[in-house]
Amino acid sequence: MLEHKTTKRFGWHRWVVLALLIGMGVVAGMYPANSPHIQLPAENVSGPYFNVLGQDFYLTNTIIAMLAADVLLLLMAFAVRIATRKPDALPKGIAGAVEALLEGLYNLTQSTAGKWAKAIFPYFATITLMVLVWNWMELIPGVDSLGKFDHHHIPEGVHCEEIHIFGLENVIGVGGEAECAKGVIPFVRVASTDLNFTLALAVIAVVMVQVMGVRALGLSYFTKFFNVKTLFSVPIFGVIDFAVGLLELVGEFAKILSFSFRLFGNIFAGSVLLFVIGSLLPYAQSGFLMLEFFVGLIQAIVFGMLAMTFMAQATISHHAEEHGEEHH
Amino acid sequence: MEGSIVIAAKLIGAGLAMIGAIGAGAGIGIVTSGAVQAMGRNPDATGTIQTNMILGIAFAEAVAIYCLVVALLILFVVG
Amino acid sequence: MEALGINLGYFFVQVFNFFILLTVLHAWVYKPILTLLETRREKIAQGLEDARVAAEARANAEADAQKIMADANARAAEVAREANARAEEATKDVRAAAEADAKKIREQAAVDAAAAKDGVLAEVRKDIPALVIAAAQKLVGESLDEKRQRTLIDEFFSGIKGGKVEVAAAGGDATVTSALPLTDGEKDTVKKSLKGEVTFKVDPRILGGLVVRVGDKVVDGSVAGKLDSMRQNLK
Repeated sequence: MLEHKTTKRFGWHRWVVLALLIGMGVVAGMYPANSPHIQLPAENVSGPYFNVLGQDFYLTNTIIAMLAADVLLLLMAFAVRIATRKPDALPKGIAGAVEALLEGLYNLTQSTAGKWAKAIFPYFATITLMVLVWNWMELIPGVDSLGKFDHHHIPEGVHCEEIHIFGLENVIGVGGEAECAKGVIPFVRVASTDLNFTLALAVIAVVMVQVMGVRALGLSYFTKFFNVKTLFSVPIFGVIDFAVGLLELVGEFAKILSFSFRLFGNIFAGSVLLFVIGSLLPYAQSGFLMLEFFVGLIQAIVFGMLAMTFMAQATISHHAEEHGEEHH
Repeated sequence: MEGSIVIAAKLIGAGLAMIGAIGAGAGIGIVTSGAVQAMGRNPDATGTIQTNMILGIAFAEAVAIYCLVVALLILFVVG
Repeated sequence: MEALGINLGYFFVQVFNFFILLTVLHAWVYKPILTLLETRREKIAQGLEDARVAAEARANAEADAQKIMADANARAAEVAREANARAEEATKDVRAAAEADAKKIREQAAVDAAAAKDGVLAEVRKDIPALVIAAAQKLVGESLDEKRQRTLIDEFFSGIKGGKVEVAAAGGDATVTSALPLTDGEKDTVKKSLKGEVTFKVDPRILGGLVVRVGDKVVDGSVAGKLDSMRQNLK
């Protein structure tokens, strides 16, 4: 502000970027990217390990991603724990950043949920942090692209050329025909692209919404869904109110679907977008990575915030709200 | 021959399913336009407006996501 | 469901995973950070409260100070007004006294001045005739040339002839004093108008004219005699 520096804006960095672009072109020419195989369920990396209720349990690549995200989150939690162990310490570094983020989230919760903020906040924060780490894992190089090669997925008569690194079974690229891409099983696939996980989060969120409602209003919370109060006293509108309550019940299940498919759809579509752009226009992928960065952030915030808002709404008495509205 | 027709129908169907994204796009545009106007009129309420804008965008976008899911189902699951 | 990849096992893995994370994060992250935020908020609130109290105290102090200042100002104004009044009074007194003094002094001065003037005038009056006479003598002396003497003597004699000077009535010896020696014609004229023996004297001190003494009567027609009568008038 005080003095206007007239240094060069780019300096030598522009040459680094240029060299990287040229290098990218050279590598893309040497190892042409194949359009990868797109598949909704997670791929099995190894297994089956054990059998539960007639279902084989494989170690899927989304579970690996989930565990990696857990490790990251636990490391972060550990760092915060160490930083906040001293009573008067000001958290620095990672802990400081986490503290700033959580302060913002907590203020948001408090402005929405009021006195229930303390109960709602852990779910909100955990969902947000978890989904954020999941989504941003998509941006790490090697996720979705580095994998092992499985001949079982290749149709008969297709010859594939494997590119190994470190002399292992691991494949970083597949030459030959397009069908060969089906054989690549990535080691890590973002957990948000597995419907199991998004559905689990959605179910947890919606169940916790009901739990918050019961905690706040007791069993009278369920009169929101089974509205029998006016069913017999008011002739026609009582029935309508009852039907509306049933619709709200259906709405809760719609919430589960909406939650799970929103997150899954956004991130899966982002992954597919990155695959397609990566195979068609490798140069342009960095721009789409930036887009995915924002999409991942926004989806994490949206998931968390919607869950938080629903929980906050559940703690408010339905009838009191209606009467309040009638007063106005 | 029969398989290729099925594949073609699947691709066309997936493309048609994504038509629904038009509504979501228009909806997100309307939401953002209203939010930006509101922020312009009342910059002090930017925080609240942004929160509600993101929520509204999420709801509008959900429609597009359903379309996408249907398209994906058609492409990869059905048949 | 199978095609979407939904599998109850993975679903529950995720549910358990979520609650493990929730518990750990709650214990390690949320609780300490919320406590931290709470203490910070309390500290800030305490600070704000302290600041408010301090501000209030300051405001009170300012109000007190203002009140004190106002009182002081009022008192000062009062004092000043009193002082002014007193000063005016004193000034009036002083002025009156001064005026009285001045008047007295003036009167005294006037008296003194009058006395001085009188004194001076007396002095001067004492001297004036002499001065006048001296001046007149000088003037007369200077202007009384012979022709003038003769004219004066002629005038005297014409007076005698006209009967204005009544010396002739008295008999006896007469002495005629003149400043210049009389001519013979003049002596005859005098002898004619006078009976008895006439003695002629010449005295320049009479400056001009004639002094005729007959017996004990004197007809002073001299300039010196006129000057002497003038001196008597001036006194």
